[in-house]
Amino acid sequence: MEIAFVLNGAPVRIDTTPTRTLLDWLREERALTGTKEGCNEGDCGACTVIVTGPDGTPRALNACILFLPQLHGKAVRTVEVIAGPDGALHPVQQAMVEHHGSQCGFCTPGFVVAMAAAHARGRTDHEDQLAGNLCRCTGYAPILRAARAAEGAPIPAWVAEDAAAARNHARQDTQADDAHPVFRPDISSGERGDAARGAESPPPTAPDAALPKDSDALAAWYEAHPDATLIAGATDVGLWVTKQLRDLAPVAFLHRCRDLARIEVSEREVRIGAMATLAELHEVMAPLHPSFAELIRRYGSVQVRNAATVGGNIANGSPIGDSPPALIALGATLHLRKGDARRSLPLEDFFVDYGKQDRAPGEFVEAVSFPRRPDTLSCQKLSKRFDQDISAVCGCFDIAVEDDTVTRARVAFGGMAATPKRARAVEATLEGQPWTAATVEAAMARLADDFRPIDDMRASAGYRLRAAQNMLARVFAERAGARTSVLEIAP
Amino acid sequence: MTARFTMDETQPRLLDETAQGVIHEPMDRPEGRLKVTGCARYAAEHVLEGMAEGVLVRARVGRGRVSCADEEAVRAMPGVLGVYSDSRMLQVPAHGGAGTAPAQGPDEVRYFGQPVALVVAETPQQARHAAEALQVTYEEEPGDFDPDAAGTVDRPDKRALDQGDLDQAMAGAHRTVDVTCTTAPQHAAAMEPHAAVAVWEGDRLTLHGTLQMLKHNRAELADALGVAEEQVRILSPHVGGGFGSKLGISAESVAAALAARALGRPVRVVMSRQQVFETTTHRTATRQRIRLAADADGRLTAIGHEDRVYNLPGNAFSEPTAQSTHFLYAGENRRMAQEVARVNRACTGAVRAPGEAVGMLALEGAMDEMAEALGLDPIAFRKRNIPQRHPETGQPYSARALAGCMDDGARRFGWEARDPRPAQRREGEWWIGIGMAAAARVNLVSPSRARVTLREDGSALVETDMTDIGTGTYAILNQIAAEMLGLSPARVEVRLGDTDLPPASGSGGSMGASSAGSSVFVACRALRKTVAGRLGCHEHELTLKDGTATCANRRARLHELAASGALSEEGEFRPGTTKKQVSQASYGAFFAEVAVNGVTGETRVRRMDGTFAAGRILNEKTARSQCQGGMIWGIGAALTEEMVFDPRDGHVVNRDLAGYHIPVNADAPPIGVTFLEERDDHACPIQSKGVGELGISGAGAAILNAIYNATGLRLRDYPVRPEAILSDT
Repeated sequence: MEIAFVLNGAPVRIDTTPTRTLLDWLREERALTGTKEGCNEGDCGACTVIVTGPDGTPRALNACILFLPQLHGKAVRTVEVIAGPDGALHPVQQAMVEHHGSQCGFCTPGFVVAMAAAHARGRTDHEDQLAGNLCRCTGYAPILRAARAAEGAPIPAWVAEDAAAARNHARQDTQADDAHPVFRPDISSGERGDAARGAESPPPTAPDAALPKDSDALAAWYEAHPDATLIAGATDVGLWVTKQLRDLAPVAFLHRCRDLARIEVSEREVRIGAMATLAELHEVMAPLHPSFAELIRRYGSVQVRNAATVGGNIANGSPIGDSPPALIALGATLHLRKGDARRSLPLEDFFVDYGKQDRAPGEFVEAVSFPRRPDTLSCQKLSKRFDQDISAVCGCFDIAVEDDTVTRARVAFGGMAATPKRARAVEATLEGQPWTAATVEAAMARLADDFRPIDDMRASAGYRLRAAQNMLARVFAERAGARTSVLEIAP
Repeated sequence: MTARFTMDETQPRLLDETAQGVIHEPMDRPEGRLKVTGCARYAAEHVLEGMAEGVLVRARVGRGRVSCADEEAVRAMPGVLGVYSDSRMLQVPAHGGAGTAPAQGPDEVRYFGQPVALVVAETPQQARHAAEALQVTYEEEPGDFDPDAAGTVDRPDKRALDQGDLDQAMAGAHRTVDVTCTTAPQHAAAMEPHAAVAVWEGDRLTLHGTLQMLKHNRAELADALGVAEEQVRILSPHVGGGFGSKLGISAESVAAALAARALGRPVRVVMSRQQVFETTTHRTATRQRIRLAADADGRLTAIGHEDRVYNLPGNAFSEPTAQSTHFLYAGENRRMAQEVARVNRACTGAVRAPGEAVGMLALEGAMDEMAEALGLDPIAFRKRNIPQRHPETGQPYSARALAGCMDDGARRFGWEARDPRPAQRREGEWWIGIGMAAAARVNLVSPSRARVTLREDGSALVETDMTDIGTGTYAILNQIAAEMLGLSPARVEVRLGDTDLPPASGSGGSMGASSAGSSVFVACRALRKTVAGRLGCHEHELTLKDGTATCANRRARLHELAASGALSEEGEFRPGTTKKQVSQASYGAFFAEVAVNGVTGETRVRRMDGTFAAGRILNEKTARSQCQGGMIWGIGAALTEEMVFDPRDGHVVNRDLAGYHIPVNADAPPIGVTFLEERDDHACPIQSKGVGELGISGAGAAILNAIYNATGLRLRDYPVRPEAILSDT
């Protein structure tokens, strides 16, 4: 399919198979080998690039699980071209040399690019910003020192240039009324033709790939192609290609459906569009439900959260996705659409069984919503490694207490069953009861009625059950004023 | 000219006399700029005219023979150029320093994931697609997949020692410890996957590889291919981490070379991350029994260290688990023994600090238990048992600052404030504790050569086939030459990683800096002699600084002295009799403070310190990074890293970086590293010792000892899973 974007300041138009990754293309077609392949599944961050979208914000993304069509209309920066125009090193590059943040050097470009993206956004939470980059040599401290040393240094001019290019493209894109890119590549000129020439003639519809411009276009196309794979952030679907070597055709890329990315917070309700990224969800949740935001902070990595979408995290039906338990605890409603028909259901009912969801062919997730209430949510993620790890248990508790009585208890877990699941017996034991240690203990005992967890590599069944029970005890302790954050370990 | 030097006697500390003042300085790595701009080219990034792409096909049975591979069907696929299953292809990687081909013949499958063929196509995607599509049928044979239940168990004589009477000493002791400790299989998981680009020009092969020990790798590759060594050139100027996994050649090198020969085109073979986990060497799991006996004075009377490891049938390598137990502590009654279970799992081999990385975990945990049994402070107990002479050979020790490291570390860490009673300190949900462990790693050196040229313009060129796997070779060889020749580091150029250059030790066993460094030193020492001769003085009178040679009242610029032609010397360093005269090792002490969560069983390391003594520190910055990185490996070993094998067919279950948990930065606490000033005159002429593996050798034990102090739980199985804590709290 035909797409156009800006690479390192220069327009690019290419004809590509829909599921070619940016990493392969950079390394094989453009000889931009500074972007490394360390794992090819978004675990290590060695392939980090900066992508600037229509909002003008530079974001770190993993190129290995980023399909080329996802870049349409955006600006991409690679490690080779992040220095200043005079050839001087970028401040983070200079700091990495001086602080010995590079040893074998293989992870280095990924770190440098992630650092440059954070630097451009003025971020100083370096541990979080770099949680998605693995290093086997340094022990990380020299890298974090380098990141700190570069704080406040001038931001290179290319950051603004990439933002301008992406905004400009977005403006033209919204003026186009067909479902396809405005920047039609000129195939006859090969890969390196100039951009911005093709608005005059609408392109033929690719038989196996679509780039719908909004949710209406998506709904129509998907109803006609119900066997298709929808690709939002590709943090999961990307692995179907790079790791499972699956052929996905036909596919639709949803990133142009900006109407699906809206997040609306009213007095009564919070509604999150399916295409909102986990990074965007984090920003919205930070003031509303800080514990949810903290859970999201440990979801994947910056690179993954910048790509992964709320809709994807729900629609893939994984028993270990981290946002469904929190959303279920918040009493979320899922909004589905097929063609022009829409329906809604409680989120927990969407998850029927392992690998099976209540979704008809051609039907897609439009949004998820939950009532706006004072914050009573506590989310707890338990994983073997602190960051960048799949939850062994993810427990979310929305427990409202008035006059020492539990007026509402919604409890949901990930990692405890074949789907994200509510703990109804626990809820029943809590609701209407006095909020006391005895009630909590009784509720803890009921967890075994709700769940029969499995033994696997991440944790044993017994441990899962015990840890899940303890999480409830922790909520009780937390409400009593105990310090419980797993972050508060600094001496 | 070649200047040869064999380390038969201690040498004057010339690097303490020279004037340039760059040795030991925390110099930035010269290739840093290349690396931060993405311009350092690694093996897979060499694109040659007409290059084809090869993908290895993995066996899908745990043991058996390939009976048929439907190559015809695959050859018809788009872009496919060939399917190769040449009998010279490797079954397993070579071990470090092997110098000969490892087991060959892809038709015999000895472990799940073993390469059985190479598919070559025009593009990587076509090759990958075809490799996936290749139908291979196997005559499956029953295999042994469980090290604890293996049918064949070897007991290598070289690992056995029986001195005095351990049983009697245990029976009559004031206090005894008899514990079993296990460690999980681990993988080096270097960030750069294995890769090779092979091209033949006539009968001469050039291989762009990612390898640690080029002179051995060249011999291995030539042997595997059946060609003369002279026909093989290997280039490996940048290596994206090795940690042992690239010591010897592995499947991709031989497969690329064979296919390139057959096709008459350059061929590139890059392993996927999954293949790296499945087919390159990993560290064995261990089961270790430690027995200690002590008298009423807290003196050890006996040490027993027996272990079970595993490897493929017939494979010569076994983890030297008890390596440092032989020399670290006193005790006249000693027993060491090893069992090697023969299993059909991927080959085990050297991973960072083979031996100490796991052996020290068991020993230092048991030492902590014995200190408690005796009611002694763990440091005081260890110091009481530092032997005067090697308890088995009677050798004296060379520089050994074990006690000094423990004292220094204790002071910096605030050890005095530790409450020796467990489970005394609680902060919110967290139990807090601190622990320590000794660090020890044998010191090795190996023959190494380098050429140093003082060029006409007064700058210097250092050339050797030595590698820099992230350790800092480019920096330290520069510093040694700059120091010896009186040049600013900017005036020294270092070329590495090319077998056309003089053969070095290679990187492995923490011996590279001392060995290759000594060869540069020897070459420079010869150059100093020549320079002194041209000035008409004795070399002892010579001062070289900032490009100027001075002796007595004569002075000259180096470029003047080299004006008539570059001066070049090849230096050759060889280990000599000092290796046998004394017991040599690097030492240190680890201190860790942990927080253990009473609700979830999670353990987090709050801070960690290490004090080390490893002879002369050649570059304070690169050495510090080595130790810091090593200590993070210790955290990985203690808390997160564990390869999981399926008991049914031996396949690696967690063959990716999502499932094999190397620590992320949130797992890395603030780490302090201190070096004690030391010169080891017996080690090498530059008085340095190995530092690259020291930081892991015992680090994890400090963490488990701290967990005990925090919770009262004596855990002996690595890594510690949260359930091990929660089930007992």
